[in-house]
Amino acid sequence: MALDPIRRCGLALLRGLALAGLGVATAVSFVVHLAFLVVGFGLGLLVLPPLAIRAGRPVTNLARRLAGTWSGVPVEVPYQPRPAPPAPDAEGHYPRDNRLYRRPWVPAALNWFDWLLGDPATYRDLAWLALNPVVGTLLGGAPAALVGVGLWYAASRAGTDWWALPAGLAAVAAGLALAPGLVLLHGRWTRLLLRPPRPEPGRLRVWYARLLVTLLRLLCLLGLSLLALPLAALGALGLLLGYGLGIVAVLPPLIENVRHLAELRRRLAGRWSGVEVPSPYLPRPELPPRRPDGRYRVGAHLYRTERWAGYHLRLRWLTRDGATWRDLVWLLLDPVVGGLMLAVPLAALGYGLFGLAVPRFWMLLGVTPEGDAAAWYAAVAGSGAAAIPVGLALAAFGVFAAPRVLRGNGRWVRLLLAPTARARLALRVRRLTETRADATAAQAAELRRIERDLHDGAQARLIAMGINLGHVEYLLDRDPAAARALLAETREASAKALAELRDLVRGIHPPVLAERGLADAIRALALDLPVRTEVGIELPGRAEPPIESAVYFAVSELLTNVVKHAQAERAAVELRYVDGRLRVVVRDDGRGGVDPARGSGVRGIERRLGTFDGVVEVSSPPGGPTVVTLEVPCALSSPRTSTS
Amino acid sequence: MRVVLAEDLYLLRDGLARMLTAHGFEVVAAVETGPELLEALLGLRPDVAVVDVRLPPTRTDEGLQAALVARREIPGLPVLVLSQHVEQLYARELLADGNGGVGYLLKDRVFNAEQFVDAVRRVAGGGMAMDPDVIAKLLVRSEREEPISRLTPREREVLALMAEGRSNLAIGQRLFLSESAVSKHTASIFAKLDLAPSDDDNRRVLAVLAYLNSATTR
Repeated sequence: MALDPIRRCGLALLRGLALAGLGVATAVSFVVHLAFLVVGFGLGLLVLPPLAIRAGRPVTNLARRLAGTWSGVPVEVPYQPRPAPPAPDAEGHYPRDNRLYRRPWVPAALNWFDWLLGDPATYRDLAWLALNPVVGTLLGGAPAALVGVGLWYAASRAGTDWWALPAGLAAVAAGLALAPGLVLLHGRWTRLLLRPPRPEPGRLRVWYARLLVTLLRLLCLLGLSLLALPLAALGALGLLLGYGLGIVAVLPPLIENVRHLAELRRRLAGRWSGVEVPSPYLPRPELPPRRPDGRYRVGAHLYRTERWAGYHLRLRWLTRDGATWRDLVWLLLDPVVGGLMLAVPLAALGYGLFGLAVPRFWMLLGVTPEGDAAAWYAAVAGSGAAAIPVGLALAAFGVFAAPRVLRGNGRWVRLLLAPTARARLALRVRRLTETRADATAAQAAELRRIERDLHDGAQARLIAMGINLGHVEYLLDRDPAAARALLAETREASAKALAELRDLVRGIHPPVLAERGLADAIRALALDLPVRTEVGIELPGRAEPPIESAVYFAVSELLTNVVKHAQAERAAVELRYVDGRLRVVVRDDGRGGVDPARGSGVRGIERRLGTFDGVVEVSSPPGGPTVVTLEVPCALSSPRTSTS
Repeated sequence: MRVVLAEDLYLLRDGLARMLTAHGFEVVAAVETGPELLEALLGLRPDVAVVDVRLPPTRTDEGLQAALVARREIPGLPVLVLSQHVEQLYARELLADGNGGVGYLLKDRVFNAEQFVDAVRRVAGGGMAMDPDVIAKLLVRSEREEPISRLTPREREVLALMAEGRSNLAIGQRLFLSESAVSKHTASIFAKLDLAPSDDDNRRVLAVLAYLNSATTR
């Protein structure tokens, strides 16, 4: 029994030795990888890297297995599953990435490359291969080395020094005792890099990554702000040329370039600083129609050709827009205001860490920089003692200020680059004009359709009925049997006329909508569909009738699309009132792939709801599911409760 | 037989009253608004009421609501609802109490006086008269839904005619079956829809209700 621990230690020693051998093997594998990667990517022989990676996996898998069986640290295999062989389409071709292949092996090989090169585990493997020759060999080989050195020492010096024997034996004992622990440690080390990456990064890493992103953004914005400096100089020159010397041709390109930069900053303010800055520019005007004398009028000028009229129009459009001048003012101020603002946290962090704390730390360790340390380098006001605390405090301030400054910069951008009240009004007028045109056009088309339906349908049938009835009157005495047959026919015609009128009425304003309101109308709509449709409605009141009608027809159109095109098993309609907006979500489990740009249905809904400032959002990846969201701002009247 | 008539358009009201009188009904009240209708229904307790869905003063579904309220007060009060359009939603609401004595027809059905009067009589007798349009809409979807999917196509045909309110004899004539064959089918339908043996009329309503619910969304 007493032998057991010794045997265990001995076994661990041997395993450690084997692991050290594995370390040497990984060194070889790493060198091979390196060679294949460098040659592969360097010379464009893209076949080589995947081959090396594939060949290297048995080595890492062996390490995983050994960690589980020898160290008792199981390590899961992290690799993504091998891609399935490519499947031919209906015509026998093999599609991949917008290309068709006649034979399966090309797409299969490409899939294989993607599988190996696209797996994050591949790169963790590489890191392990690079480090394991040192770490793994040390951990595995240390006990054996101790034992070996101890034995050698005891054997060679036993005659000369009396303490050589006990010291040698002690080393052997230490080697044996350490062996199991070091083998365990080797297993943990293997697990550290070879296990599947954790699905969620730790909080510290998230914080660090966020900080890094914030700092990078600050740096980019600082660069853009400084870029404004030469542009501002150019701008001043351009204005001088344009207005001073009358060379107006320089103005449009200048202004448009400034606009590009300003637009970029607006977008970045929204995306990076979380401050939405809408574009303030007036829309480009259309060329007015030709006058009776065949010329175009722009301002007080008349032009014979379209080109010059257009040029003048563009110049007027660019120079008369207030936003242009606000852009220019911003261009002059931003390098100073924005630049200073952005530089503060970056400077505090950089100087605090790399100007004060870190150099002073190295000095403490005895590394003295060459030459004299200036008063600002590694010292505060000439005293070195305060350098580390002050440096750290400055860095902490930089870290604290960075996200705030990023947001503040967004506000600064908004201050000058957001549309003024006047520009907003102008944009609003433009939008209203558009939607009004849409609405009137839709209404006119609707009336035309109704007129046509009545004219060709019910009206014609009534005429036919009148004729028939006249004939019945004539037949009544002469041929009662024929009269009766004609009467039956006439009754049928009246039923058909009614049915047509009913359909027409449904298209104008569905009776359920009039009788029950939006919620029940949508429920009734869902009941009549051949696709099983769930309806969830939470409406505390009723919207204005025009909005109810528009939303009803929008939902009706969407559900019709679901039935016609989506090949869906189920659909769902959700109706809610959130933050002063009526929100409708229509989803189905069909095949997806609805392109709002192409489908005239969605465009029609957009136009219909646009009159009420409503918006439509479509999410429909190929393969489904399709989710369409409608939102219309509106007020709800006091509840006239709908029975359900 | 005493009838209450509710219809806001004078011409239609007059025509209906004339037709019902000609077929031996006694029109005890012919009203034109929702509140008047409710008062007449509760006060006069007619043998049957013929009601237009849309009535003044709101011109929404006043007639339907009055009928539903009255049937809550007087369970099984026979009501035949007329409308320019038929909705499964309304049919469900009318049938929901499972008491029978319910009809729901398009106004067009009035054209055929005999059939219409027949429907009124059926409703007055505690039966049912669902418009073929409602049934047709149901047929679009319910085939794949439980428990209707358990029925054979023939049983589904029988159920559809049952929903219209036909008797076994009438169903047999329509489908060219003997009456006993039809009652075999109906018994099978009741069994498949888990309807316990009870009064036959009531079970017919419940069967149709199951049919309607199979197509509902909740």
